[in-house]
Order: sequence, then C-alpha cells, then structure tokens
Amino acid sequence: MVEPLQLQTAAWALTTTLELALFVQLVRRKLGRIYPLFFAYLVSAIFQSIAVAALYRMENLDRWTVWKIVWGTQGLVVFLRALAVVELNRRILLRYIGIWALSRKLFLGVAVAVIAYDLVLSKGLWQWLILNGIRGLELAMAAVIVTMLLFARYYRVPVNPLQRALAVGLCLYSTFYVINYSLLERIVQQYAVLWNFLDLFAFMASLLVWISAASRYVPSEELAVPSAIPAELYGKLSSEVNSRLLLLNRQLIQLLHLEDRGQ
Amino acid sequence: MTLPVLLLVLFALLLVGLLAWALRPPAHQARPALDVFEALKQSRHSSRMSHVIQALQPEDTEYLRETGQVALMQTLRRQRRRIALDYLDQLQKEFAMLLEISRVLAVMSPEVIGMEEMERWKLSFIFASTCAFLRWKLRLGLQPFSGFTLLSNMATDIARQLDAATTRVAEAAVQGSEHPALGHKRIDGL
Repeated sequence: MVEPLQLQTAAWALTTTLELALFVQLVRRKLGRIYPLFFAYLVSAIFQSIAVAALYRMENLDRWTVWKIVWGTQGLVVFLRALAVVELNRRILLRYIGIWALSRKLFLGVAVAVIAYDLVLSKGLWQWLILNGIRGLELAMAAVIVTMLLFARYYRVPVNPLQRALAVGLCLYSTFYVINYSLLERIVQQYAVLWNFLDLFAFMASLLVWISAASRYVPSEELAVPSAIPAELYGKLSSEVNSRLLLLNRQLIQLLHLEDRGQ
Repeated sequence: MTLPVLLLVLFALLLVGLLAWALRPPAHQARPALDVFEALKQSRHSSRMSHVIQALQPEDTEYLRETGQVALMQTLRRQRRRIALDYLDQLQKEFAMLLEISRVLAVMSPEVIGMEEMERWKLSFIFASTCAFLRWKLRLGLQPFSGFTLLSNMATDIARQLDAATTRVAEAAVQGSEHPALGHKRIDGL
C-alpha cells in the first residue's frame, strides 16, 4: 500500500509539473506580457513549491520555523494572486471607463468588508490574524471575481475564454480554500492529510483550466474599444431612462393595488 | 464551529452558485445593433394602460349579467384577462428595452452615475417581482374590480407624466444627435 506521505509527494510533484506546463504555455503565447501579475503569481507559486519541498527535506529545522516560512511564502503567493485578480478585472472592464470607475469602488467595498469581517474572527491573536487574513483575502478575491462577472453579464461586457478561465480558476480555488480552511481542517482534524490532498487537487483543477484556456488562446480575442459619449449626455439620457423606468414601475404597482382593491 | 465561521462558509458556497449563474449563456440574445435614439423613439405600450384598465372594469361587462348572459360575461372577462397578460408582456418588453438602452449608455459613457445605476437595479428587481406576482394573479383569475374610476384617473396622470418625460428624452436625443460620437454611429455587439 502507498504511504500517504508518498502520495503527498507525488501530488506536489504533479502540481509543480502542471505549474511548469502553464508557465511554458504563458511564455509561448506571450501572455506574460498581457497578464504580468498573473505570470508573477505563477512564478511565485512555482518557487514556493520548490522551496517548501526543499524545506521538508531539511530535518534539522524545527517545526515552528518551518511553519513561519511556509505561511510567510503563502502570504506572498496569496498577495500576488490578489494582484492577479485586480489585473484581470482591470483588463476586462478598463475599456469601459465609466463601468470600471463604478465597479472598482464596488470591488473595493466588497473586498474591505469581507476581509474586515474575517479579521474580526481572529480576536486579536496574531497567529489567527495571519491565517484568517489569508482566508479573508481568498474570500475577498472570490467575491470580487463573482461581482465582476455579474457586472460583465449585466452590462454585456464581453469576457474572452481565457479571461473566463482565469476567473473561474481563481474563484474556485479561493472558495475551496475558504471552505477547506474553515470547515474541514478544523472539524475533521484526523483527516488533515486528506484535506491537504483536496486542496492540492483543487489547485490542480485550476491549473488544468488555465492550461487548457492558455493553449487555445488566440490574440484576436482582444476586443476593440467601444465608441464613447460625453458624460453630460449620458447623465441626461440616463436620468430620463430612469424616470421612464420609474413610471413604468409605478404603473405596474398601481395595477397591482388596483387589483387588490377590486378583491 | 461558530456561527460567524458558518456564515463565511455559506457565503463561499453562495459565491460558487453565483459564479455558475454568472457564467451561464444569456437567456435573451442582445439586439445586434441597437440605436439608442431609435429605441427611445419607439412607441410606448404604457400609454395604453387606461384602455386596459377600462377593459378590466367589471362595469364594462356587468350589463351581460343583467341580460342573463352570464356565460358570455365570463368568457369576455377571461379574454380580457388574457389581453391584460399580453399587455403585461409588452410592458415588460418595454422595461427590458429601457434597461438595454441604459446599459448601452453606461458602457459608452466615461462616467457612470452610481446612484442612477443602483436605482435602476432596484427598479428592475421591483418591476420583475411585481410583474411576476401580477401575472400569477391574472392567471389565477381576477375578481371583479371596483373603484376603477379613481385609478383610471391616476393612470391618465401617469400617461401625462410619461409624455412629458418622453419629450425631455426627445430633446436630449436631438442634442445627442448633434454630437458626432453618437449621431452617426450605431452601437454594435450589444
């Protein structure tokens, strides 16, 4: 029977291989220039995998030092992932100046609220502050990505397959991390090795989604900038459209009340 | 596990659900080339509300009961309810068109007024829920109405307000059509 440790080593090796495969795809398709922060995040994840593997081979290091190094590097990787999320949102929405200006305020609000809520749970203990801070950041990333996709859907902003894949991979991994960290690792401690595997598998799934999208990427996916109108005209027309919507709504509500009175 | 942590987990699950929803292909294909001003000039079904209200008034068909034609009265009322449902569909289409216009404007504008966008999201939600509620009530069969005269007057008021609003829109449209960025371009890909 295969030892859990051997399986874990194999999973780590597979993850690093997939990370390298994605790295090659990004370089080949010159996507590193389009998404430099995502590229930096990937590079940091590769270095982290190698560093952690090397660290676990050093037997003379005490567990506390290993813990600090592992979570320190994890913090850096998560921070770079957060920057990659910002980059992705910016890339999708920046062409629509007004929408981007509105959405970034909303994204910031969502992110701050989620992180603040999570940090409150640490009750001032610094160990929990780091761990909960990372969880908060992961959840904030997922919330921002979902908000961005909802925004894009509402305003019919085109999202190309690569951007969609990046968003899905980032969001799914972040939400899985939150669920894993909050629920599974704490409640079912005896299955810690299994949950570690699940975490690696979630990351592998994200890597596969990204590799698949990067390998199919064609440069023509970048869309043209839409034509613009003056802000004053938008303001005028927008308020008129709103007043018509409001009147339609009032009509409908009156029709409803009318019926209620009739009964 | 404490309640705040449980709420975090539920929020994460909600995000997964919303992610799946956001990635679905759109239910309605967007119009291939929507001209904002053309769309704003289109006729408004909402202006015909007073006729629909008139048709739904019980007094309009009550004389049939007095002449002993109850079955005919019921058939007539059923048909009018169906017309009211069609009217509701048209109102919804008009609402959707206005929303589409507002999206086009927001996408093209260098500045988007957050409060107005939020107001629209709120209105969309209220409109959609009211519409669904009304539709179900109509499908289940309306009771005879009373006190329609007052409400019919209110509807006329609204129609008047709508006319005023549309005049302002037309004025804005004229100003807009003088602007080269919008006057000679159609908005594609929407």
